[in-house]
Amino acid sequence: MNESATGSGAHLRQINRTDRLKAWSRHHRQLFRSTLITLLNQPGALLITWLVIGIALSLPILLSLALREISEADTRQVIQPAMSVYLSVPSESETAQALLKRLRASSAVGEVRLITEQAALAEFSSLAGFGDVLNAFSENPLPGIIEVVPRERDGAGIKLLAQQIAGQDGVDQVSFDAAWLERLSAILGILERVLYALGVLFSGAVILIIGNTLRLTIENQRGEIEITKLFGGSDSFVQRPFIYRGFWLGFGGALLAFFIIQSSLLYLSGPVERLAQSYRSNFALEALNFGESIGLFALGALLGILGSWVSVWRYLKQIQPK
Amino acid sequence: MLVFDHVSKRYPNGYEALSDVSFTVEAGAFVFLTGPSGAGKSTLLKLINGVERSSRGQVHVAGQNISRLPARKIPGLRQGIGVVFQNHQLLFDRRVYDNVALPLFIAGMKPAEIGRRVRAALSKVGLTGREGDWPETLSGGEQQRVGIARAVVHRPPILLADEPTGNLDPDLSREIMSLFLQFSQLGVTVLIATHDLELVESMPARRLQLQDGRIRAE
Repeated sequence: MNESATGSGAHLRQINRTDRLKAWSRHHRQLFRSTLITLLNQPGALLITWLVIGIALSLPILLSLALREISEADTRQVIQPAMSVYLSVPSESETAQALLKRLRASSAVGEVRLITEQAALAEFSSLAGFGDVLNAFSENPLPGIIEVVPRERDGAGIKLLAQQIAGQDGVDQVSFDAAWLERLSAILGILERVLYALGVLFSGAVILIIGNTLRLTIENQRGEIEITKLFGGSDSFVQRPFIYRGFWLGFGGALLAFFIIQSSLLYLSGPVERLAQSYRSNFALEALNFGESIGLFALGALLGILGSWVSVWRYLKQIQPK
Repeated sequence: MLVFDHVSKRYPNGYEALSDVSFTVEAGAFVFLTGPSGAGKSTLLKLINGVERSSRGQVHVAGQNISRLPARKIPGLRQGIGVVFQNHQLLFDRRVYDNVALPLFIAGMKPAEIGRRVRAALSKVGLTGREGDWPETLSGGEQQRVGIARAVVHRPPILLADEPTGNLDPDLSREIMSLFLQFSQLGVTVLIATHDLELVESMPARRLQLQDGRIRAE
């Protein structure tokens, strides 16, 4: 055996591209199963890691679900109360009926509802404490009211509409709380930003948690990594199991987050519905739908893979056989 | 197969482990590397499988200049070199089978092929049927033989051994050495670092004697 005959001798037998691709995909398939089995062999540690990730993922998502419901269009009543147009004439009068017709025809107005003097009295006396007060009057002191829901959603436009209506015949005054509206939308804007910041922070936390967990694992497997490298395992070959571990940690964490979110919503739904009813709103915290759940799992898996990539790569490169 | 051309190795702390070492080993040769501890035997072996790089001079392995090999090509080089250690470096949380299969697994071989090769390698070192055992339950000599099976299972053209008999009694040592001799007869280039002079002298093989980082005698 001379040198030229074994010119490429120190390489393993020449492997062609297809075989290498097959080996590569076989390694991936093996790791997909084997890394999960390895993790499940330490159920206690795994559960704690999953819980930590699950909690970190569920907090910002729960908050964003609440915010989404608040700012959604069909819950406008909560944040955009109808303006109340107090009539100076009886609600059966022609002036009042004409006003009602004009408002219904107006393009600036979304919804119009007439509350007659009798209806107002009935509603008012049903509220605790006011029954006795009303009994002191010999006749109904309440005016008729037209509730107007403006189509316009921005504060200045609503103000303009209110002024227009106030100038019409048969109108005593128009009341709505413009300042409150503006403040609420400003608060929602701030909340939204806080939420984004929280989302970024918690995602970062998940990446760090996964990275740190994996680093401990690597430290425990230092010997195995050194041997693998000594027998020709490349950096990416050595890193691959940790990518899959990261995937499972993130995915499992997202699975737990899913259960935390759904059970929290169930727990909150009763009180929230009661609150919403007091606003005559059908506001309700909705559970994650199918697409959102898939998105949550994908996010968890992605953060897991990212956490593994970011923190493990350099660390693994440093481990060299001695 | 192996060419050292005026190779020196100086560690970052200034210690010069090898100075101006030159030699050539033909393919299929069986060579002892002897000398007291600290003479540079381990360093010399590490230069062959790319664990260390020479400070000066060139190391050629199978026609490839290792001193200039980019880092991404090191794994390919190592896949063609089997290594045996004094403390055998088995993974104690893996069964014998998985320990021996490691190089084949790295090479991406099919599971069925891996099984065949692992059993063949184990029978070659006299451990037929022991693939399901845990390394802990084996004797020192058996552990070392598992380490040798792992080093040859992927049929590397080069086999390096660093004090492979360091912890074994004379009888076991001779047994292990005759195993290495068999591999060289099959065409494997074998380089064994040892300070067991008695054993070396009892075997008909070329000797490279190192002292203070230099080759003293052939």
